[in-house]
Amino acid sequence: MSVGRFVLKRSLQGVGVVWGVVTVVFALRFITPGSPINAVAPLDASQETRQAIATELGLDQPLYVQYAQYILDLLAGDMGRSYIRGQEVVSLVFSRLPATIELAVAASVVAIVLAIPLGVASATHRNDPVDYGATLVSLGGISTPNFWLGIMLILVFAVEFDVFNTSGRGTDIGDVVLAVGGSEPFVGALLSWLAYITLPAIALGTYFMALITRLTRSGMLDELGKGYVQAARAKGLPRTLIRYKHALRNTLIPVITVLGLQLGTLIGGAVITEAVFSWPGLGTLVIESINQRDWPALQGSLIVIGTGFVVVNVLVDTVYASLDPEVVNE
Amino acid sequence: MVSARVIQNLKTEFNRSWLAKLGLALVVLVVLTAVFAPFIATHDPTAQNLEQSELPPIGFSEIEERTTSEMVNGEIRTVTETVAVTADPAHVFGTDGLGRDMFSRVVYGARTSLVVGVLGTLLAASIGVPIGLLAGFHRGRVDDALMRIADVSLAFPSLVLAVALIGLWGRAAVAVPDPFVAVGLAPTMPDSFVLPITVVIVVGLVNWVWFARVARGEALSLRGQEYVKASRALGADTNTIIARHVFPNAITPIIVLGTVQVAAIILLESSLSFLGFSGTTLSWGFDIAQGRDYVSSGQWWIASIPGLAIMVSVIGINLLGDWLRDALDPGIEGEGGAA
Repeated sequence: MSVGRFVLKRSLQGVGVVWGVVTVVFALRFITPGSPINAVAPLDASQETRQAIATELGLDQPLYVQYAQYILDLLAGDMGRSYIRGQEVVSLVFSRLPATIELAVAASVVAIVLAIPLGVASATHRNDPVDYGATLVSLGGISTPNFWLGIMLILVFAVEFDVFNTSGRGTDIGDVVLAVGGSEPFVGALLSWLAYITLPAIALGTYFMALITRLTRSGMLDELGKGYVQAARAKGLPRTLIRYKHALRNTLIPVITVLGLQLGTLIGGAVITEAVFSWPGLGTLVIESINQRDWPALQGSLIVIGTGFVVVNVLVDTVYASLDPEVVNE
Repeated sequence: MVSARVIQNLKTEFNRSWLAKLGLALVVLVVLTAVFAPFIATHDPTAQNLEQSELPPIGFSEIEERTTSEMVNGEIRTVTETVAVTADPAHVFGTDGLGRDMFSRVVYGARTSLVVGVLGTLLAASIGVPIGLLAGFHRGRVDDALMRIADVSLAFPSLVLAVALIGLWGRAAVAVPDPFVAVGLAPTMPDSFVLPITVVIVVGLVNWVWFARVARGEALSLRGQEYVKASRALGADTNTIIARHVFPNAITPIIVLGTVQVAAIILLESSLSFLGFSGTTLSWGFDIAQGRDYVSSGQWWIASIPGLAIMVSVIGINLLGDWLRDALDPGIEGEGGAA
């Protein structure tokens, strides 16, 4: 199979999974005690009012008609209207999405930048103090609840030292980028952005930093013991070149796959990190929608989260296939 | 299968690694705390005492400046006085905003975490393992269907799905009588343990897929083994082969995954309690949520101490998992386990 066909096949599978995601989200409404009418209708609503609401929401139709209508609406980009805010769910969800992506990317950057050197150092200094230190840091990292870490960071860096903001989102990252060429003071915009994002990014990124450190360490240890590394050493290639160009490159392939699978954990972590730092993203929207029984907003958020996961994993597989064409034949 | 060789491997690895020893010690500490909570706790963890609220832990007595205004002869006078907030030796970890003893709450919180962690893992395994074994053994359509269901399940983050399900289903809990209190051994403690049953069911439903994936992988590799073929040739039916030959040989990686999952579910439970999606108010995550409101006013211990308890437990279980993995099955990587 060629790489192109492999990517096509994975994309089609991805479409199937998204369909499954949509179906599960649609079904959620029916495993719920209580009719959705109760969420919209006033407590003292008359039978006629309730009937009118049912007709308006399409609840008087047979199930398969409702399901078909739901899918058709989604394809047309319509996720209904939020019960509570009266806003279109599509615009609501997409107004919150950038903040969550920004937080997730910032956390991943924090994680990767720290973890890869730490993992490599840990593997190349096996059983040295460096290795023990890295092992303890990563053990602590995968065992710390991120919401608690967030609160501890607030305690130290916001309450005791008052260097960071603890709630909300600062300058838009888009504005920071625009400030580079514009008349706005770039440094000011950047600092304002950092003041808000630093603590949540560390709180969310720590678990992944720990996870990637562990994966990089064990992967590097595997690779460094292999024949091609010894051959390269025998040829007299510089140590740094062997470590970073040959061994690390092969280590990164499984690391990327695991990260793709752990994207769900990253988004789940973002939900709770957003709650701690009042970050106005999809996570806070999910929690608010549940507490307010705003099903359309909840359904829309879940579909976007699930679809995002599938898209990223298809992309990961594409990267994977181009790095290691053997995957295609599995 | 647990053979003499397996036990030997466990011992060798245990003697070699101080981390394994630390892990076992921490897990034993947490389990004993949870089981004997009524004897270890110094106070009823739910008893409020507003006169003793916000006391710092022992060794952290503080001097606080309090400013009060009063009317003296028609003038407003501001008086600043220094008040000593002294730790009370009866409250080792201090008290929370309602004057409840933090030490006793941390001790009882261990019960909630461990019970939800273990029951949730057992539920997830009992759903995931049979499905995974059947799919991997039969391959074909059953397997394809399972893998697609698993893909859909993985597309929802555990925490998001759990929050949505609990939000939709409500927060049910059952009170399980405490045996020690029932026979009168620890009379001042709560007489029952509140088991957040919805949380247990939901974490099981959310995390089964990791077990299905591992069990499927094992079944795929075991189905071609000679003894499976021999058993089939002798006329054994599929279910017997899976139960007698495939399952026992797949158990090692499932146990390793199970250990990691207990840790993952403890973290998930604490997240749910923190967000208010639990059926109990005696949980580390719940206490952290309470303590969060006191962080900016200086009562740091209310949120900090329960979090340290979570860390200690999860570190212990993760170390135990590493030990089992290194000793039993050096070939598998610790990928599963979404928090």
